[in-house]
Amino acid sequence: MKYLEELKAKFGERIEEIKQLAHNQWLITVDKDILHEVVVYFLKHPEWKETQLSTMVGTDERPLRGKFSVTYWLSVNGNSDDVYIGIKAYLPADDPRFKSVTPLHKGANWYEREVQDLLGIIPEGHPDPRKLVLPDDWPSCVYPLRKDFHYSDSPQGEKYYPYREPPQGTTVHPIGPYHVALDEPAHFRLYVKGEEIIDCDYRGFYSHRGIEKISESRLTYDQICFIAERICGICGFTHSTAYCQAVEAAGEIEVPERALYIRTIMLELERLHSHLLWIGVACHLTGFDTGFMHAWRLREHVMWLCERLTGNRKTYGINLVGGVRRDFLDYRKEMIEDVLKKLKSEFGKLVDDLTSTKTFIKRCEGVGVLPYKLAHEWSVDGPLGRGSGRDFDVRRDHPYAAYGDLDFKVPVYKEGDVLARALVRIEETWESIWIIEQALDQLPGGDILAEYKEIPPYREAIGTTEAPRGENVHYVMTGPGNTVYRYRARAATYNNLPAVPDMLRGYTIADAPLIIASIDPCYSCTERVQIVDIESGKVRILKEEEFNKLSIKASRRV
Amino acid sequence: MPVTLRYPFTELEAPPEYRGLPHIDPKLCIGCGACVNACPPDAILRIDDYDRGTRKIVLDIGRCIRCARCEEVCPTGAIRLTNLFEAASPDRRDHIEVVELRLVRCKVCGNYTDFTERQVKKALQILPKEILEEEALEEKVFICRNCRRKGTVDATINATKEVVL
Repeated sequence: MKYLEELKAKFGERIEEIKQLAHNQWLITVDKDILHEVVVYFLKHPEWKETQLSTMVGTDERPLRGKFSVTYWLSVNGNSDDVYIGIKAYLPADDPRFKSVTPLHKGANWYEREVQDLLGIIPEGHPDPRKLVLPDDWPSCVYPLRKDFHYSDSPQGEKYYPYREPPQGTTVHPIGPYHVALDEPAHFRLYVKGEEIIDCDYRGFYSHRGIEKISESRLTYDQICFIAERICGICGFTHSTAYCQAVEAAGEIEVPERALYIRTIMLELERLHSHLLWIGVACHLTGFDTGFMHAWRLREHVMWLCERLTGNRKTYGINLVGGVRRDFLDYRKEMIEDVLKKLKSEFGKLVDDLTSTKTFIKRCEGVGVLPYKLAHEWSVDGPLGRGSGRDFDVRRDHPYAAYGDLDFKVPVYKEGDVLARALVRIEETWESIWIIEQALDQLPGGDILAEYKEIPPYREAIGTTEAPRGENVHYVMTGPGNTVYRYRARAATYNNLPAVPDMLRGYTIADAPLIIASIDPCYSCTERVQIVDIESGKVRILKEEEFNKLSIKASRRV
Repeated sequence: MPVTLRYPFTELEAPPEYRGLPHIDPKLCIGCGACVNACPPDAILRIDDYDRGTRKIVLDIGRCIRCARCEEVCPTGAIRLTNLFEAASPDRRDHIEVVELRLVRCKVCGNYTDFTERQVKKALQILPKEILEEEALEEKVFICRNCRRKGTVDATINATKEVVL
């Protein structure tokens, strides 16, 4: 990679190591004092227009080398190379501090707060170092993702959360935590003057389930596929695909071609039903309930199809490390063709109705504008980014599964309002139908699952997919004995949600639900990490309590 | 074309591909515990009672996520995902299925071993007939791990002694 020479020339000896992890992944280890400089150097690189902060991983590597580490993963998008760059720095165990990137790049805000919460690694100079992930009553100085913390512990603390003071002359208007636009919890505190939103504070992470910790503590490689699928209730399959890709990259497992095509078809079916769901919700929020009913009616056909193809409407459960578990038989192939035919004619009608409904257009046009500059600063992705003129798509820029062989367009709109996002999603739905048709035609024969023996420990890799909401990034560091040492899942909404306050400012309360929904937020995706919920074991009959205890005991044994 | 169904006022049958509630066929289960190892949410447990000499395979469909990994790994096809989906019940105990199997009693020390009688039977069944020596098996199979290890060590020591003498 030619850019590495440039980097070496600029930073010289303070770059400790450069390593290639997979065909498109590079890991650069640098001195911790220049970490932020290197990250910003790449983010603002003039030749890489759509470079993006993809994820950031903090790892407790004390059992391995007596140090903590943080890695910023950047994806180079747009028409540049197919490259992911990890910039890693080791921090001393007794004083884990590093210079925050947030003052220079807003998109790093949540990531740095998260490592502070979960690992006790302190980003120095962070403008907003409040709690992000952990519950309000979590005691300070207890860090759940450290290796000396057992996953079933549940410490008690005092309840406290410092909300921002409302700006002068404003009133607090809370939205949530129940049922903000979509049926998931999140709390937006709008600071309003009359109807106008002046500012906004956000508190989320209510549906925090401890998926990362439980994956690192008691699950095997194949078992994690199923919990990864349950990160999200809408786009679970992209999560399990991203996880499988990460392990496959780390373990150098070659996936059979037929499995890649089956994954592609399922991913696109998922995008179809997710976008139809969103179009329905958008109609509902703009008071156009007929559109809502029609969109969900069409979606139901896709759900039924998925049930026939995989055995379940939503959590398909067909991904395993190395391939897929269920094959498409011929009669199922015909079913896909039938549904696509139906969808093509009826979706066209729905779009015509939608775009000719004045109330819908009026409610969406010019509302919740996120200009290109802000979109770049917040590192937003997916249809939200493409609606604001960012020309990228993981499927095109970093081809995975079978996307490299298929032909499709990436719709980009410059307006940055809710309507632009709606149009991006509508066009993507058409593209999805087209991708499935191609993949079905080209579906190769052969095996669907590759066998693997042992995955060497302490290898790192990331897997990325383009979920319906944007880029999903899963980082895996393999561990000894069929387990994962560190697992980090980042959902698209994690990058998109911090930008919402900027989109709300200046609009009215009535628009707030629509603006929030326009990013197609998925809170449970965003809020996966940390501690297992053992609260569920408290009430109920003895029988179950016993059972839970036993299963905790059983898993400790494993 | 409407998609709304009159369920629950009409009967609804899930498609044949559907992964529904799991069910263990107690006649086929040999108690090997392959499903216990594969199960991601620990919905299946293996509980050995060495005093009574039983092994329980306990399935809780309340914890089950219907992934069908158990069905894939089961050597006898005992555990199957049916296409039933209605699991609601006023009693939590309705969700639990228990298969109880007998453990093998060690012929030497008389303690219970950590494998079931059916496991031995199954193993004997799938071993090719040519390599079986009926008499040797009778002596070796129904012995617990400790006694077997002890037997091997004793035999080795005796053999060495003979060589030395």
